Amino acid sequence: MRVVIAEDTVLLREGLAGLLEDAGHTVLARVGDAEALLAVVAEHEPELAIVDVRMPPTYEDEGMRAAVEIRKLHPNVGVLVLSQHVESRFAIELVSAEGGFGYLLKDRVLDVGEFLDAADRVSRGGSALDPEVVKQLLAPPQGDDPLAELTPREREVLGLVAEGRTNASIAKELWLTEKTVETHVRSILGKLDLPQDGDTHRRVLAVVTYLRASVA
Amino acid sequence: MSCMSGLRIAAWVVATASVVSLGLGLADIHGVMDWLPIGLAPFVAVAWLAPAAVGVVIANRQPRNRIAWVLLLGSFALTVQVPLSLALGEGWGLQMGRALWPLLYAWPIAITFVFPDGRFLTPRWRWIGAFGVISFVGMMAIAMLDPEPFEGDDASVANPLADNAVSAWMEDTGLWLIWVVFWLGILGTLVAGSVSMVLRLRRSTGVERLQMMWLAWSAALIPIGLVLCAASWTVFGFVDYLVFPFLLLMQVAIAASVGIAVLRYRLYAIERIVNRTLVYASLTFLLLAVYAVITVGLGVFVGGDSTWVVAVATLAVAVAFRPLRARIQDLVDRRFRRARYEGVRRVRSFEDEVRDGVQAPEAIGSVVAEALGDPLADLYFWLPETEAYADATGEAVEPPLDARARREIRRDDTRTALLLHDPTLLERRDLLDGVLSAAGLSIEMARLRVEVRIQLAEVEASRTRIVEAGYEERRRLERDLHDGAQQRLVSLGVQLRRLQMSLPREAQILSPALDQIVDEVGSAIGDLRQIAAGVRPARLDDGLAAALRDLARTTPVPLEVDAPQERVAASVEAAAYFVACEAITNAVKHGSASKVAVRAHRENGTLHVRITDDGIGGATVRRGSGLAGLRDRVAAHGGTFEIVSPRGGGTTLQVAIPCES
Repeated sequence: MRVVIAEDTVLLREGLAGLLEDAGHTVLARVGDAEALLAVVAEHEPELAIVDVRMPPTYEDEGMRAAVEIRKLHPNVGVLVLSQHVESRFAIELVSAEGGFGYLLKDRVLDVGEFLDAADRVSRGGSALDPEVVKQLLAPPQGDDPLAELTPREREVLGLVAEGRTNASIAKELWLTEKTVETHVRSILGKLDLPQDGDTHRRVLAVVTYLRASVA
Repeated sequence: MSCMSGLRIAAWVVATASVVSLGLGLADIHGVMDWLPIGLAPFVAVAWLAPAAVGVVIANRQPRNRIAWVLLLGSFALTVQVPLSLALGEGWGLQMGRALWPLLYAWPIAITFVFPDGRFLTPRWRWIGAFGVISFVGMMAIAMLDPEPFEGDDASVANPLADNAVSAWMEDTGLWLIWVVFWLGILGTLVAGSVSMVLRLRRSTGVERLQMMWLAWSAALIPIGLVLCAASWTVFGFVDYLVFPFLLLMQVAIAASVGIAVLRYRLYAIERIVNRTLVYASLTFLLLAVYAVITVGLGVFVGGDSTWVVAVATLAVAVAFRPLRARIQDLVDRRFRRARYEGVRRVRSFEDEVRDGVQAPEAIGSVVAEALGDPLADLYFWLPETEAYADATGEAVEPPLDARARREIRRDDTRTALLLHDPTLLERRDLLDGVLSAAGLSIEMARLRVEVRIQLAEVEASRTRIVEAGYEERRRLERDLHDGAQQRLVSLGVQLRRLQMSLPREAQILSPALDQIVDEVGSAIGDLRQIAAGVRPARLDDGLAAALRDLARTTPVPLEVDAPQERVAASVEAAAYFVACEAITNAVKHGSASKVAVRAHRENGTLHVRITDDGIGGATVRRGSGLAGLRDRVAAHGGTFEIVSPRGGGTTLQVAIPCES
């Protein structure tokens, strides 16, 4: 996997690069601000750009805006945005709008396996939504919410689906067989009245869009 | 210029000639002027030279002003008789003395025609002027030709014109009776002069009006003098020494007021002087009348000159003095200082309205403008603390520099306000001073209120600033936690992970320990994130609704949120959010609520937030409690805070925060 990293804290930037290189990926460029990021993306057309949300000069949402820009200019480049805290609105919009986008809290990096998994998914046009964001989407159901009809296990599966996981990944996470996960997913989509679709990304889109509508 | 200085020199020459002439007479006091009682001589000198003195001053300042020459020549005509008598002998002196008395009236009457610009009212008035000159000259000529011998002490002196042919001829033809025509002509000229003066007074405004008032005030003495002279003549056959001082006074008064009017020195005092004159003249007249009526009336009953009658009359006058004076003053004010009278009354009625609570003292500015009859007048209150002016609302304003006149208002030697008014009011000093002095207390009261209001607003603003600075500080702290400590921990964790991965096979035994450490780092990061969210939830960046909805996800009891998507000022959103947080925490922790609802809506520039729970109620605002903190926070935004919490009936907290955007 060919990667560029945009992160203004040198220590973390080098750490991330190290992790990726240790895993056998190629880090093409390491930059510290959005402008340089757009330049190296244009230059290398990498498979994945890992982007910090807050970067110089204002430390507001430069990274997020750069991510939108990259998705527009280079649709083949997957963008994985790393944030210190949940700014879900933006993230959900991007994840549900198209593939090749991921949004994770920075400390997910510490779970190296999952982080690399998410990075891999995003670089191949999939999506990755931070469990924290998903948790917010899956707020305790109220009243006649169809979510109330889901069993606890189904809710758990739904969350992982929303995160962008594949059935295999979900099965591994929950210590289930893939077959069981498939059954759960079919049941969930049925209860929520969503189209049954084999494609993981389109499934994520449907679920996130649904959840977003129910939250907003 | 040379013409001007020529005129000045000429004025000095004439004035000097007058002084020298009179000096000759005084030096020879027992000669030509021996008819004067000795004590009167200095007064005569003052009276006859007064017009010359004023004339020379005016001529120096305004050489082209013909008034100066009327005064100078008037004085000269009076004084030149002295050297003439000395030169021609005692007989001529006495003849002039009894024939040229109209000169005493000639120059004052001339002044009434041409004051204050030295020109007649219209060119037609010249004819009346010419008629006047003919009357005066004719009158004096006929009198000079009088062949009658001198009487009394002077009987021994021969009349040098005792048997002149002209007078004999006039006697024969009866032509001498023409003096009656001239006499009437003089009276007519006097009347015409008064008419001219009154017309000018009516038409004039501003400075000219005051000048005319000065003249009118002193010129009133002319007819009085004439009447007194005529009366004296009729009764005694000559002008009595008792009347003479009045004539001297007349000369001085007219010369002085002409001087004041032309030179504009203390020009504005005239309204007061006229007022006082009217008041005291009427008062004197009335008191004399009272005295006379009582003495005569009681005299008829009691008979003779009883000292009782005098005592009673005196007592009545004494008792009547004060109330009568106040009454007359009021009447005169009402009649002759109408504007001032009404203006002061307007201010007084405003004071009553303030006392009754109908009006706020700050309205004094418009009341003063109304009382002055100047709708464009503006009053600015002085704030000593900031050394600036403010309007009635407490807004700091720089009084505009425009065509309006500026009048600083002081009280006890300290500045209280500034009045910008129509400059023409400067010519009505009486009105201006009267109204401002009446309004002084109200102005000071309004100023104090404005000052207090401004200080209060300042305190409120500083409280708001402090609270807002607090939000800003929270925001900074949140940033620091995320971008500082948290970032470092993540870096540390990544390094540990890399270390773990690079462990040689024989050291793999350390791997579980490293896992544990990384887990610890992870939960430390989680803790920090939690703390940062408590300090200030980052979701507030997305608005109140988003932040409240996030809050709902972490609340242990169901929380119903209904909040507008539209954004208001960040500090208002933060205030509303923290109020909701605190109220929810209270509801769960102390109120044992099983569900809470937060409703926010914006209406008329105010954000209303209402938090209700189904808990046990009984919440009160105690000092230092969370609720008290909330109340202060809301008050800092100029909002209101209301809590209804009956025991056992749940708690409803309602706040309204202004959010004008």
